[in-house]
Amino acid sequence: MTQGIEAVDEEELLRRTARGDRRAFDELYRRTSPWLLVRLRRRCDDPDVLADVLQDTYLAVWRGAGGFVGAVAGGSSASWLWSIAVHRLVDAMRRRARTARVPLVEPPGTAAPAEEEALAAHLGLDVENALTALPPELRQVVQTLILDGLSVREAAVLLGMPEGTVKSRARRARIALREALS
Amino acid sequence: MTGHPSPGLVTRYAAGDPDVDDVTAWSVEIHLDGCAPCRALLAGGVDGAGRALLDRVAVAVDRGIVAGPAPVRPRRAPFGRRVPGRTGTVRAVTPWLLTAVGLLAVACAAQRLGSPQDPLVLLVSPLVPLLPVAAAWSRGNDPAWEIVSSTPRAGLGLLLRRTLAVLLVLMPALALAGRLTGVPPVAWLLPCLAFTAGSLALGGLVGVARAAAALAAVWSAGVIVPALVTGQAPAVLEPGARALWAAAVAVLCAVVLLRADDHRRLTSHD
Repeated sequence: MTQGIEAVDEEELLRRTARGDRRAFDELYRRTSPWLLVRLRRRCDDPDVLADVLQDTYLAVWRGAGGFVGAVAGGSSASWLWSIAVHRLVDAMRRRARTARVPLVEPPGTAAPAEEEALAAHLGLDVENALTALPPELRQVVQTLILDGLSVREAAVLLGMPEGTVKSRARRARIALREALS
Repeated sequence: MTGHPSPGLVTRYAAGDPDVDDVTAWSVEIHLDGCAPCRALLAGGVDGAGRALLDRVAVAVDRGIVAGPAPVRPRRAPFGRRVPGRTGTVRAVTPWLLTAVGLLAVACAAQRLGSPQDPLVLLVSPLVPLLPVAAAWSRGNDPAWEIVSSTPRAGLGLLLRRTLAVLLVLMPALALAGRLTGVPPVAWLLPCLAFTAGSLALGGLVGVARAAAALAAVWSAGVIVPALVTGQAPAVLEPGARALWAAAVAVLCAVVLLRADDHRRLTSHD
């Protein structure tokens, strides 16, 4: 360990965590937890649920870091963390759904301030316009299915709606995007 | 790099600014997935409530780590290759295979050194595969039996594969023993296969382990003991009986295939 821990990348931190290195784990937490929190908070704004989900996620990371090390290369450590966290979020919503409704993040209005500098690099202007033109409830479904990589069933739990609604909204979103792009 | 979102945008995204619309937030999120420097930038933009929550979670995680088990070490095979989880069946059956090979070795040594007129290798050859085959299909001996019993395709196919694996290990040992004692391959091969098929066929009714035990007992009492007492080669192992052995192998294999459903799962008496 000649390298300072600050200079080590996150994949290496995970590898060290798998060997039981507590300092590497703490550094990983310091670096990635704000990002995970912000991203999760856009999906659910109940602080207790968020705390539970984050705690579950990082305990799973501590015990299962070897799973990333042993997994096929290619996936980044961040997307590995996110997939753990978002599935824990679905689990938490499933538990909560039995007792009480959790206030989900309301789909914001369609107002769209220009942030071209960020978008131009990643999304073509056509795609951007098409996505922005989608009604909020369709955009929410697109986000859950495509960006978060959840299944229809998981999306239904997370968004608190029947699976059939998720499917029909996904279909409507697909049609709307196809029309906007043609 | 032109690809990074502006620091102001990252900070506003971090603060949960409602003015950052969905589509913009998505592109930020996709970018953050692959960009550690921007994630570091984002960490600075988290508000006080978020910080407090993260500190709270850090304490809880620390408590969980102290109370819970250490990280699971990645499993590695020799030469640094990584193996997905193995069931351990091979390890469970290996002692039985070694026992069978040991039995054969003792018979071979006794025949060569002690009494060349007793066809000991020939006498034990039907028994050799019974022990490992029974061990390879037994609930008590199989560390993965829960998986086996809940796998739709686990029935006869898996049993036959395990039997084949056992035979592949034992055949060279039998061939060597036969060569050392001058027994032609066809003489030991047919009884060996007939008893293996018989234990599978009968095993469909009473469990492979019981079937193997019963066949071994019958063979020992009916053939081995009389042969050792009288000092004469038993009639069933004369060259003239080979056609009957071949017919028995064919019939028993057909029975095993026709009664495939009997092996659908590892029952309690297996």
